[in-house]
Amino acid sequence: MQPRVTAILVARNGAKHLERTLKALSLQTRKPDIVITVDCGSSDATAAMLAAFGPTQFIAADADLNFGQAIAAAVRVTTPPTHDRELLWLLAQDSAPEPNALEALVDALEIAPSVAVAGPKVMEWIAGEYIHNFGESMTPTGATVTLVESELDQGQHDGLSDVLAVSAGGMLVRHTVWEQLGGFDPALPVVDDSLDFCVRVRLAGYRVSVVPAARVASAGDGVAGPNQSSRGRLRRRRVRAERSAQLHRRLVYAPAGALIFHWLSLLPLAFVRSIGQLLRKEPGAIVGEFSAAFGAAFNGMRVGNARRSFAKTRTLGWDAISTLRVPSAEVRRRHSLKREASLFGLHGERPEIRFFSGGGAWTMLAAAVTGIIMMVPLLGADTLTGGGLLPLSPSLPELWASVGYGWRDLGLGFVGAADPFAAVLVVLGGVAFWSPSFALVLVYALAFPLAAVGAWMAATRLTDRGSLRALAAALWVLAPTFLIALADGRPAAILVHLLLPWLFFAWFAAARTWSASASAALLFAAVVACAPSLAPALLVVWGLSVFVAGRRVMRFIGIPLPALALALPLIADQGLRGSWLNLVADPGLPVPSAHAPTLQLLLGLPGTDGWAGVLDRFGVVGLDPQLFVPILLAPLAVLALLALLLPGARLASGAWLVALLGFGTALAANQLVLAAIGAEPVRVWTGSGLSLYWLGLVGALVIGLRSLHRFASTPGVVAALTLAVVVLPLVASLHLGTAAVREGTGQTQPAFVAAEAEIDPRVGTLQLVPQADGGLLATVERGVGATLNQQSTLDSTDQTLSAREKALAELAGNLASRSGLETSAELAEFGIRFIVLQPAGESVDAAETALRTETALDGNAALAPVGDTEFGRLWQFGETDATASTPLPARAGGVFGLVTLLIALAVVGSAVLLSLPIGAGREAVRQANRDAIRRAARADAKQKTKRARRSKVISDLDADLDVPLGTDLEADLAIDRETGVGTGLQSDDGFADDAAVDDALAQAVEDDNAR
Amino acid sequence: MPDRSQLARIGGRAGRGVLGLVGIAVVVATLGAATLVTLPTLEREPQASEIEPLPSEQQRVCPGPVLTLAEDSTQAQAASSVGAASAVYGAVSASDFAQIRPQVTEISAVDDSNSRQPPLLLTVPVQDGAALPPLVAGSQSQVAATDTIGGLAVAACAEAVSDSWIVGGSTDIGRTSLLLLSNPTTVLATVNVTVAGESGLVDAPGATGILVQPGEQRVISLAGLAPNVKSPVLHVESRGGQVAASLEQSSIRGIEPGGVEIIGTTATPGTNQIIAGVRVMAAVSEETVTTGEGFNADTPSIRVFVPGAVAATVQIGVTSADGTAEGTSTQVEVEPGIATEIPLAPLIVGSYSVQLRSDEPIVAAARTAVDSAGGKDFAWFSASAPLAGSFAVAVAAGPSPTLHLVNSGAADTSLTLTPAAGTPLVVEVEAGASATVPLTGGTVYVVSGGSELWALVDYSGDGVLSSFALNPPGPLASAIRVYTH
Repeated sequence: MQPRVTAILVARNGAKHLERTLKALSLQTRKPDIVITVDCGSSDATAAMLAAFGPTQFIAADADLNFGQAIAAAVRVTTPPTHDRELLWLLAQDSAPEPNALEALVDALEIAPSVAVAGPKVMEWIAGEYIHNFGESMTPTGATVTLVESELDQGQHDGLSDVLAVSAGGMLVRHTVWEQLGGFDPALPVVDDSLDFCVRVRLAGYRVSVVPAARVASAGDGVAGPNQSSRGRLRRRRVRAERSAQLHRRLVYAPAGALIFHWLSLLPLAFVRSIGQLLRKEPGAIVGEFSAAFGAAFNGMRVGNARRSFAKTRTLGWDAISTLRVPSAEVRRRHSLKREASLFGLHGERPEIRFFSGGGAWTMLAAAVTGIIMMVPLLGADTLTGGGLLPLSPSLPELWASVGYGWRDLGLGFVGAADPFAAVLVVLGGVAFWSPSFALVLVYALAFPLAAVGAWMAATRLTDRGSLRALAAALWVLAPTFLIALADGRPAAILVHLLLPWLFFAWFAAARTWSASASAALLFAAVVACAPSLAPALLVVWGLSVFVAGRRVMRFIGIPLPALALALPLIADQGLRGSWLNLVADPGLPVPSAHAPTLQLLLGLPGTDGWAGVLDRFGVVGLDPQLFVPILLAPLAVLALLALLLPGARLASGAWLVALLGFGTALAANQLVLAAIGAEPVRVWTGSGLSLYWLGLVGALVIGLRSLHRFASTPGVVAALTLAVVVLPLVASLHLGTAAVREGTGQTQPAFVAAEAEIDPRVGTLQLVPQADGGLLATVERGVGATLNQQSTLDSTDQTLSAREKALAELAGNLASRSGLETSAELAEFGIRFIVLQPAGESVDAAETALRTETALDGNAALAPVGDTEFGRLWQFGETDATASTPLPARAGGVFGLVTLLIALAVVGSAVLLSLPIGAGREAVRQANRDAIRRAARADAKQKTKRARRSKVISDLDADLDVPLGTDLEADLAIDRETGVGTGLQSDDGFADDAAVDDALAQAVEDDNAR
Repeated sequence: MPDRSQLARIGGRAGRGVLGLVGIAVVVATLGAATLVTLPTLEREPQASEIEPLPSEQQRVCPGPVLTLAEDSTQAQAASSVGAASAVYGAVSASDFAQIRPQVTEISAVDDSNSRQPPLLLTVPVQDGAALPPLVAGSQSQVAATDTIGGLAVAACAEAVSDSWIVGGSTDIGRTSLLLLSNPTTVLATVNVTVAGESGLVDAPGATGILVQPGEQRVISLAGLAPNVKSPVLHVESRGGQVAASLEQSSIRGIEPGGVEIIGTTATPGTNQIIAGVRVMAAVSEETVTTGEGFNADTPSIRVFVPGAVAATVQIGVTSADGTAEGTSTQVEVEPGIATEIPLAPLIVGSYSVQLRSDEPIVAAARTAVDSAGGKDFAWFSASAPLAGSFAVAVAAGPSPTLHLVNSGAADTSLTLTPAAGTPLVVEVEAGASATVPLTGGTVYVVSGGSELWALVDYSGDGVLSSFALNPPGPLASAIRVYTH
């Protein structure tokens, strides 16, 4: 009896590929005896084409039928097999067999009766000389392995015959076996359906074989097997399907005893693998990871059915196929090859920036020298004090305790949210883990070189010229707002200025790489934590980025998430108070500042420029700083404005938009007085907004100068020199003594109290500060005193007085008066052992209050005067014993604190994992390989017809093509282009107009893939 | 088609140029508009609590009898008391003016070799449940008539403070000044005295670290600290316990006594000083006033001192208390750190109020003299602090005691003077005006109905003149604003 072949062709919206498939089918040297076409609810010409082909039977099926179900539907209309030489040939719309394919396959089954399934060599659709897929197998742990993929076919695999499995498209299977095994497992709709089937075939005692002579081209449309497109959504769906299939098979193949362990491991594994996905820059796969785990865990019917049917047909043990699995050593070898390929992209990044050869190191060195000159009075300091500088908590656990929602050990203490700035300080303090306070000294010591490197790196996004990068660094380091923040001792504002260029650096590349996107998100969080007033401006920039990002929108949409997660408890707290505006109050120790005239803000000066004071001091008359400072800054402004007229104007207008947003922020901050320290209202610091303003200005200037080419040097040098003249008094402020910051002693309390705090770390000190209005600021400090990380905007912006605060005010008021109040009991109740009266300022009222307070305290019989210290006059309250000290409340944050902390840890942790530049994952490498082959083939085709139309950028691509295809190098270049691990100057960020061409090309390639 | 592409390029450039100019215009306009527009400000006020201290017991120290030096020639620097002072005191509850009997104890006058009558310490405990401290007043008077000392000396019984200024005294030839420091507290007081004179700060090594034991009075001869200073100004600072300071000045003209006075503390430095009453016993014309070497010590004058480092421009306004004479107004420049005497002229006989306005904090007191058949005497009229609310006046016995009142507030005030026994008096004081009220010696009055008043009591008679100013309880008991964050 002759073998009888029933070809079943399944199509779904496949008109594009169907023509070639049908033609190939009709050209077979051994024609199938019966042709059944199945149309899965196509909406295009598919149905008509299938019908026109003249099949034996045409079945119109539902659209939601998968390949296995469609085949099953076709098999149902055939007559049941009477002998084992009735064969089924499974084809999809994009399975175009070569003329002799069926003949070779039928021969294979004819020769060896034990072979039940024969699979062809599946070739690429366009690049026909490449193998798409040739034989499948499993690792010892059950993961799917494609034996050969994306390789140039030189006959090197033609010796292959017995394999564990073959892919579904083009598979020839004995009808009897198909019936016996019940076809494909309905629980494996897309991925691994044929693998699972072939495994069952094997375990039922038959063989599976590949037939190298039979070649079938496949376009990866997703009818038979998963869709091979690299488009985000389809790719994520494929990854999810692969994971679902793997988990399903694991549960089906597992021995009954191990089933429960596999089941229990589903969710923990999903967590662990999610971390891996983040490291692999595949955040989109996480949802699939979990949905696959849940799907496998809570769809017991499917697993049960599959296990039953599996057991029914199984005649052999697993040992029978163990030799067909891919050994672990081979798996490891394949992985290491791919890891190497993915890491290459990372290393390929370095030559682009040329930090050392481009003058970056010299710029940093020059900045460091300038910084040392400015900081001479602080040389050798272990701690700094003055302005907003306070020590950090002395140990890392204490630092960590100041993060999140919980007990704020500030003053009397309260339960509330920490500022996100505390998280920044934790990271900063961790740098100097042996003595966290030293981190602030490091910030000062390295402020200049760090600012220079940041600006230099940011400039690499705009220009290739080392001189312009150095100029950007100089302008950034000499920014008046930065120098004033240094002199005033505003750690948050200094950090903002150091981080902003890096934020720009990462943001600019965010469209291309997940790593840059996550870095931008972390930097965004840090900047907003340091200066919440910048949040509106940055959110506007973010909104615009999202708006113009197009396809890459996911890379931008998550940028504010870490900032939001960190600020969540604070937002809740301020929301409960109904004072949303307080969210923009500056974190850290409140430092009052005067209202700055708008004109001064326009010059980038948050405070005075210092020239007025210097001229006064040296008795120079006739020079008006109000006149010459604007004139000196004019070159900078003119060059920045000029950029709008030169090539690159689009980018420059983006820079100006940033500048205007920064200026608007400064202007608004200037009008906002949200916090207070004692009687003194504290204005929101305008300098942070001006840092953003300056960033835009320097950006526009660099963009303008790069278009001036060789004429750029003179105006650039003039702008830098005039700026240097303007900021000279600021650079010299530490020498002139006009700076608030000075070398500290590492203490904020008298040594006597510090010694007592060694014994009782919760010893309370009542700090009394005479205020300029004649009032008295009374605060309680525990232990060694206030720390920067415990400062809270919730406290500094509080407009209400709690009962405890009123009681403290009552106590302090009576202590500062000749009073009949019995103060001993109350002092003990507050756990106060010491009272420090700080010296009054220059105000007459403050002096009177100081005198009055001192007199009253001297006359208080319960207090023993200790003497004058550098922090003021000290009294000791002797009657309390150690038991009266107030312990730190444990777990004050409660469930809310824990939940918000976990959310913050999860979000920030994910961003950190995602930002680590460790190269793309294996899947990306694999994908890149496939795409490279396709693109190469397509470019090859284009080359023949459209040589004249090729642009310069495409010739870059041609250069890539000259590289021997199929090698690792070729794959790496592909990664570079697709995953963006390697970076170029080109970017499809909203501002980068010169990247538009590249982006358009990338888009075209993508579209082709989709087609 | 190169022409078309060239055209396109030129067109593109032009378009870009126009767009760039528009961009520049937008930027400049935005920034320019920002400088012109006045933006609204959102300002949150700091939160504070006004704390009224719980009232505590009130203490007043009466300086004690007039002292003299060198009665015993073997102890030229030792002081001994002369005669006895008669004190009048009383206290009432601030809420219902119920009489409270002060506890009277004695301060031990360790430096008085002749301690027949020690200084008195009045203590008034707080009444149970009282929200305000009781009103306490005391004053003493003494007419001295020895060979060396003659005249009337009255003084208010004062509260001990840690920082006080005394403007008055002299250590010139024929003049004796004794600083009396009484410590009524239970804590040792360490007192530093700074003396400034007409030639600036006096270097006085013995003036620092003066120890005043609790419950003791120390007497220090000012000549020992600052000899030959015509116009001393004293700044008394105490650490630990507080002291009540007063300066006794006596003079001898030739062989007859030239008068005696116990000078109380004057108001602490401020830019607005008010002397509620200055009594001029003899008319003084412009011509009689000479300055410098020929300065007539009997001329009514004001001693002004600027504690700061910057010269002050002081506007001195002299207003007749009863409207019988025209007021005068002069403006003087006062050098910092130098006690300056400014004569008041021309003035006719009568009582005046003096207001000093300065651009820098100053301290001041006025002095006038009487020279009549009954003898010679002089008096110092100190500036005082404003009295808020009700206050008590204890009027020691003496010739024609008169209460001088200045209402510097914005509203007319109707005052009720209620004597301890007798019918209440009602006095109207218009805003910005002053008034004089004759009082009866030996009585304690309660003055109610005022809001912001300066008050001084003077005594005058034939050849006698003296005064004491009324001060509110020290700032230590006043309300204070407390911030807690």
